[in-house]
Amino acid sequence: MDTRICILLLSSVALGCGGCAIFHRHSDQSAPSQEPTSSTASPDSDSSSAPPTVIEPQVERREIKVPTIHPSNVELGAYYGEISIQDFGAQPVAGLRLDYHISEDFFGEITYGRAKGGLTSFESLSNVLLLSDAERRFTYYNLSLGYNLLPGEVFIGRNLAMTSAFYVIGGVGSVDFAGDQNFTVNFGAGFRVLPTDWLAVHIDVQDLVFRSDVTGVAELKNNLQATIGATVFF
Amino acid sequence: MLLSLLATARADAREHLQLFVVQPYLELHTGPGRGYPVTQVVARGESVDVLMRRTDWFKVRTEHGVEGWAYGPDLQHTTLANGAPFEVNLGDRAGFTSHRWESGASAGAYAGATLISAYQGLSLTDHLKVELSASQFLGNLSNGYLLDIGFSHVFMPEWRLSPFVTLGGGYERVEPKVTLAQPLTTDSQSAYFGVGARYYLARRLFLRFELRGHEVFTNQNSNEVKNEWILGFAFFY
Repeated sequence: MDTRICILLLSSVALGCGGCAIFHRHSDQSAPSQEPTSSTASPDSDSSSAPPTVIEPQVERREIKVPTIHPSNVELGAYYGEISIQDFGAQPVAGLRLDYHISEDFFGEITYGRAKGGLTSFESLSNVLLLSDAERRFTYYNLSLGYNLLPGEVFIGRNLAMTSAFYVIGGVGSVDFAGDQNFTVNFGAGFRVLPTDWLAVHIDVQDLVFRSDVTGVAELKNNLQATIGATVFF
Repeated sequence: MLLSLLATARADAREHLQLFVVQPYLELHTGPGRGYPVTQVVARGESVDVLMRRTDWFKVRTEHGVEGWAYGPDLQHTTLANGAPFEVNLGDRAGFTSHRWESGASAGAYAGATLISAYQGLSLTDHLKVELSASQFLGNLSNGYLLDIGFSHVFMPEWRLSPFVTLGGGYERVEPKVTLAQPLTTDSQSAYFGVGARYYLARRLFLRFELRGHEVFTNQNSNEVKNEWILGFAFFY
């Protein structure tokens, strides 16, 4: 009796193992169907004819926006100082300045300035006015090229260093004075200090030379001006 | 969820361009010029953030928070985050050959009067440019203004001394100084043809010389022909 029971149990175990084997084979057959269609071909059938296909990942690439570099070569600002208008006395002058730094050596500059001529010594003594009030307006513009002759640094105390440059500058322009517009040559020198990367302080001395006959004889008129100003870099 | 997405986007977007040093080291100067001393170096494999550019100098910040100025040609040996080399327009002869904009100022003469002129050019190709010029002439008998627009064709833009021709039209205003026998201010249209040459001097800077013949369309029986020459500096960017 015990022998029969053992045979029965062994038979059921053997059947159970066989059933598991059937399920295992079924799962093996169903697995390839989950792969992409590009690789559905059986490796056994393709191994002799074609190399295995590489699966291309379906990933969307993110576009990376590269930050742009901020250029800071343009200077815009104003200045104020004193101009000695030949024969018409020293007078306050104010103006605007626009600079473009072409390279570390050269820069271009456009200036526009205004002043008002005073009385000549003849007018003061004789009480005869040579010019009307409107004709005394001294208005000029210059197109100049500058060269940073002595770039360097200035130090204030132990912990503060500021970049600076001593520059020479020259150009051409026009002066509107005494009812006439005159071709003008300007030249001079200046000193630029940058307390920060975006702010500059200028001290300039320039001569504006033009030919005029406002005092009766045509001659070169030298008009020296000394100014201090501030500019902002863009 | 929207906030988290925005936060992720902000974290991904860098405020400054990041460059990686692939050469042995990158020198940082204290100022934007070749004479300023080198006080820091950035080692190979480290990165810098580019804060701003002034002429050919770039202000950068290292991973350790140190700021300094790097020279453009040195930065040409660095790479972007994706491994591509960083390219810098240095305004050299290659830039002289091919650039987008140019500006300049000149002095010369126009029909016997002294001329002051400024121009702005836009390159359509390396050879063909559109130019807008504004001038003021100051003479013994009259002053005035010119405003011209036209095309210029550069024949050999890769040459250091390259010739060009110009063709265009514009507007002329003449303001006579003596008004007793002459009419008041006159405005006329004009056309011009010119030849010239440009010469590369230094980074971004070149000399420019031009001769122009203006045909001024007046109200009189015949048109006036006025000649102009100018010599000046210009720069490209």
